Amino acid sequence: MTQFITAVLTSLSSGAIYALMALALVLVWRSTRVINFAQAGQAVLTTYIGYTVIQRTGSYWLALLVAVVSGAIIGAVIDRFFMRPIFKRIKSGPIVMIAPVVATLGLLGIIQAVIGFIWGLTNQSIQAPVSTDGFKVMGTVIAFSRYNLLVLIFVAVAMLLLTILFQKTDIGLALRASAYSPEIAKLSGIKVDSVRTLGWAIAGASGGLAGMLYIPGYFLFPNAMDLLLVFGFVAAVIGGLESLFGAVVGAMILGFAINFATTYISAKLFFPTAFIVLVAVLLLKPGGLFGSKKGRSA
Amino acid sequence: MIKTTPTKKRLLLFIFFGWILLILGDRVGDLELYQGSFVATYALAITSIILLTGYSGQLSLGHSALMAVGAYTGALSIFNAGLHPVIGLIISVFVAGIFGLILGLVVARLSGPYLAGTTLALAISLPTLANQFPILGGEEGIVFDVGVASARFGDEFSQYKWFFWISALAALIMVWLVANLLSVRYGRTFKAMRDNPVAAQLSGINVGQLKVMAFALSSGVAGLSGGLLVMLISGVSPSAFPLSLSFAVLTGAVVTGLYNLKGVILGGLVLVAIPEIADSLVSRIGGSEGFTTTLPGFLVSALLILAVVFTPNGPGHLLKRHHHKKKV
Repeated sequence: MTQFITAVLTSLSSGAIYALMALALVLVWRSTRVINFAQAGQAVLTTYIGYTVIQRTGSYWLALLVAVVSGAIIGAVIDRFFMRPIFKRIKSGPIVMIAPVVATLGLLGIIQAVIGFIWGLTNQSIQAPVSTDGFKVMGTVIAFSRYNLLVLIFVAVAMLLLTILFQKTDIGLALRASAYSPEIAKLSGIKVDSVRTLGWAIAGASGGLAGMLYIPGYFLFPNAMDLLLVFGFVAAVIGGLESLFGAVVGAMILGFAINFATTYISAKLFFPTAFIVLVAVLLLKPGGLFGSKKGRSA
Repeated sequence: MIKTTPTKKRLLLFIFFGWILLILGDRVGDLELYQGSFVATYALAITSIILLTGYSGQLSLGHSALMAVGAYTGALSIFNAGLHPVIGLIISVFVAGIFGLILGLVVARLSGPYLAGTTLALAISLPTLANQFPILGGEEGIVFDVGVASARFGDEFSQYKWFFWISALAALIMVWLVANLLSVRYGRTFKAMRDNPVAAQLSGINVGQLKVMAFALSSGVAGLSGGLLVMLISGVSPSAFPLSLSFAVLTGAVVTGLYNLKGVILGGLVLVAIPEIADSLVSRIGGSEGFTTTLPGFLVSALLILAVVFTPNGPGHLLKRHHHKKKV
């Protein structure tokens, strides 16, 4: 019974982290039709910035704030000064299909190398702000701590804020409009390019939050977020890439599948489970669970 | 007088190229031979990407997994079944091809990011499966030994020269086969499908089938390249096929130009040369450990971005445009 409770709770907390990464990818995909592989690099970079803040001031909360804000700034800068010029340059030819993928992969490599130049390659660690000792349930300690609970709360609040932003504000309407139909949005007076940059900024902030929440249970090194990127991407694809809600659902499905497979079958099934879940979902629905048909052909 | 068809011309060209390599192989040292073998291996891997992405329009981030399939197959058939290395490599082509066929049947109806995501998940999950089966040797992997060259080549025939012969010959034959395949009807149907799937379908091309076939062919080529790769490092283990290998091969393909096979040697050379260039740079200017180990990655990524921005259709395309301008 405790094993089951543990599995459910750890699934929730790992699913929550995947969800943040998936959200960051979906936000960029919706606004620019790019799978942003550099997100792993951006998130690690902001986490290193947060790490430096902790070294100087000792405050995790200040570091979290700085990481989220710098994530937004980095995201906006990348879109404005890197992606937009590339898109202006490459307009025709078959390369259009893979140019964004290749460009963001290249950017990922550059960000990770620069982190190596500045901070070195040794594993750093970030102390969690609250206890990481497991809660006691019926006398036994389970693998779910106060910190995991904090992560869950943070992710839930972030989702809530995003939902309010997208559904209740004018900015959200502009974001949705330029993702849905850029031409019509442009005609009705929305500055589509700026709105896209805003999409990148929100995605960067989400990635920054993911990094600061993920790293304290783990180590910090230039490639620390690569796996999280892959799982976030898989979750986003399961959810259909278009929908923010789908990204969260996909991340939870992935979190539960992985944790239950490793708890009840074999710990070695960590990666294969992700692949099997993804293929199973895509076999049933090639556009993901909540994807539109339009998104698939784009 | 003998009439020379393009096919014959190509065969002669490949034989001539092979002859030059043979002469070169006698002139250079062991280190160059070893590096040359890597160039041939990467050139093959790049060929498989060009076949899949450039000709059939499907993006794969999971070619390291396909290479791993070929590598393990080769190792098992040589080490466990005791077959001749050449037969082992041929088997690895076929097994990887069949694996690609099955994979293609599953994923060929996906497109764009869905395909990229699936192949990415494959790339991280497949190598870890090796830990699941004892016969595959877990983390340590299994040895991959092609043995020394036959005695009739003489005493001075080094192991590295043997590696070079095997990989260069394998690459030449395979690239020749692929080039022939793409110059006949298949190549044109592939291009038609890539450039306009709807029009291709309307003119009677079975797009789904063709996509699956592209996956199978590309996977077979990748399998051979994986087999050669582990021959060169004399053992196969999950860590020989990291995700970064997929990315490196993709970089090579983009640098080469995704839409023609002519530059694959160039792509292979670039992939082998960059770590060397980084090494010599580091030995000149020095720097911290973080700087020296990440410099090759930095150079590869920078090259990737430069290639996409300045020569999106490959260096060959750039030359052609230049030529065209001159004429005008």
